Amino acid sequence: MRRMRILAGISILALVLAACSSSSDSDTAAPAEDTSAATEEAVVLDDSNCAAAEVFCIGLVTDIGKVDDKSFNQSAWEGARAAADQLGGFAKYVETVDTKDYANNIAQFTDKNYDAIVTVGFLMAEATVVAAQAYPDTHFIGVDQFIGEDIPNLTGLIFPEDQAGYAAGYLAGLMTTTNKLGQVLGMQIPPVEKFALGFEAGAKAANPAVSVTTVYHPPGDNAFTNPVWGGQEARKQLDQGADIIFSAGGATGNGGLIEIAKDSGAGSTIFCIGVDTDQWNTVPEAQPCLVTSAMKLITDGTVELLTAVFDGSIAGGNFVGQTGLAPYHDFDSSISADIKAKVAEIVTGLKDGSVQTGVTL
Amino acid sequence: MSQSTEEKQLNPTLAYLVRKQSLVVPVIAVLVAFAIGAVLIYFQGVNPLSAYKTIFQSALGSERGLQRTLEKTTPLILAGLAVAVALRVGLFNIGAQGQLIMGAFFATWAGFTFTNLPALMHIFVGLLAGITAGAIWAGIAGVLKAYRGVHEVISTIMLNSIAIALLDYLVNYRFKEPDQSLPRTVPILESAKLPQLGFIPLGFLLALAVALFISWLINRTTTGFRLNTVGTNKFAAAYAGIKIKYVVVGGMLLSGGLAGLGGAIETLGITHRFEPAFNKGLGFDGITIALLARANPIATIPAAFLVGVLRSGAPTLQFDTGLEPEIVDLLLALTLLFVAAPILGKLIFRKRAEKTQNVSSGWGS
Repeated sequence: MRRMRILAGISILALVLAACSSSSDSDTAAPAEDTSAATEEAVVLDDSNCAAAEVFCIGLVTDIGKVDDKSFNQSAWEGARAAADQLGGFAKYVETVDTKDYANNIAQFTDKNYDAIVTVGFLMAEATVVAAQAYPDTHFIGVDQFIGEDIPNLTGLIFPEDQAGYAAGYLAGLMTTTNKLGQVLGMQIPPVEKFALGFEAGAKAANPAVSVTTVYHPPGDNAFTNPVWGGQEARKQLDQGADIIFSAGGATGNGGLIEIAKDSGAGSTIFCIGVDTDQWNTVPEAQPCLVTSAMKLITDGTVELLTAVFDGSIAGGNFVGQTGLAPYHDFDSSISADIKAKVAEIVTGLKDGSVQTGVTL
Repeated sequence: MSQSTEEKQLNPTLAYLVRKQSLVVPVIAVLVAFAIGAVLIYFQGVNPLSAYKTIFQSALGSERGLQRTLEKTTPLILAGLAVAVALRVGLFNIGAQGQLIMGAFFATWAGFTFTNLPALMHIFVGLLAGITAGAIWAGIAGVLKAYRGVHEVISTIMLNSIAIALLDYLVNYRFKEPDQSLPRTVPILESAKLPQLGFIPLGFLLALAVALFISWLINRTTTGFRLNTVGTNKFAAAYAGIKIKYVVVGGMLLSGGLAGLGGAIETLGITHRFEPAFNKGLGFDGITIALLARANPIATIPAAFLVGVLRSGAPTLQFDTGLEPEIVDLLLALTLLFVAAPILGKLIFRKRAEKTQNVSSGWGS
């Protein structure tokens, strides 16, 4: 009897194992699927020929986080894919789990002689510099990385965040009825600070009577991943009479947006402004209050730089990408034509340099 | 073992398996976890065998891969030992993570503060700083347990949060690298860096030596006997004249010291500075490893190596097959589930097993 049970147990195990091995025998789906996906994107089937000059291979390493994070990782990956599509190349990504793996993740691509490697995020700057020096034949693009050294095969993609902030602040300054604006922000690091100073400058330029309350998340691991804090701070600012709040800083900022969207005045007297991408799409919960987002056009910048790598016109140093304001979406009809015209004028002025934000950072 | 008379009635193979079940159960747990993982991988459209092959090949197939794997294994051995030692005293140290990062920070501090030490001395001072910091952090929980009856699961988990907040403060204000927007310290000096022997990190050899030492300490010394006795039955231990309070505090000091050493070796050997984002999850992996090793100090080495291999091979797995690196966490979670839940033991050994299991798992309570 006892032995029977043991036998039963072992046979179940055997069945499980057999199921796996038989499934793996019949499984040629993996490579097949790979190729079909690649053919959709481009003519290049896989990365086995990346060493060849005529095959353009793009690798992307995310910062801690996923490639579908609805934020900068995703924007950069969309850029890499679009570039691969347009140039007839091949794009692949590796997601970082541990900050100590940056170098190893970059090495996945250099091992296979990829032509261009995009590393995403401020935190990866050092690892990118080291890799670029070790692999002079590969071109590196560092998204959100200011490159201080002169390395011919490394280009930093940076953004004038202050300009996006300025335009958003200008809009807020024209729209406010309480003359009180608020900002709920992630960690006080240069890109975030530039957004904030730009917003304040823009708001004051549009409406000198306006006052702006600014709060940064205390430094810490969770500065960009603390929606509860973001929500609480946004609520505080609403209670103090702010009627338009710029809530910027990853999930922390999103928490603020969602809290504002829940307010009874959301969309009529209370508004919010998002950041980085058009958050109308990425944070649908914020739609009741979201008039616009101060965007960094990471996707466009990535495509542009990869194209330059492809045709050989790329240079080292830093490349300043574009910023802009997201569409007003459902609020397009409720914002007066006068305000829209004034904001459009400012956006153009920022682009051609006739409007300066005055932010030095 | 006392069951030998009983075992004679069984067939010899099974008797062997029952005797060795502390080895058999984890091995089968790993195999079953991999089998279930294989099914999940298959449903993502990837051949499971080639996925596993990719992991092991990239983690072990080249000198660079092996080095990376050993680097990842090193702190895991020590974190595993930390949890295992505490389990032997009957304490569940959930706070290895906090003790480890305290060790990492203070090893960094020693690494950039003392400027005129010769290399060997500087490394020693750095390691000692890490051990001390980890030991003190765990010692707080030990004292609370011994003298105030505060449950160590509660206190160590709370001390984790306190350690994170305290280090965030230190690294953002007091010890922040100048002109740097990231919260991090300056790098440690050259003299404090742990060198490599070829592709083998010196820290790995150190971790092996410590595991051997702890095994000897636990199994061959009176100190170890006291620790084990308190862990198995503290009333009997008290009756036998063992001072339980001292053993509890001492056990926690030892446990925390090991975790702190893990953080120190990681800092002096790999990261060379402190950043809050470093060392994530190492202490928690230590819990998995200690349970997989069934609190046997020597067994923490292969258990940590397995985790190291999986973590080291994960990026290549994604590169080659597109599988997300989190599949590794899934495999570890499944393994832990099967090791911790006595299902497998019962299925294989049934009632008979239960008796032996109770003897071997006195720490479980």
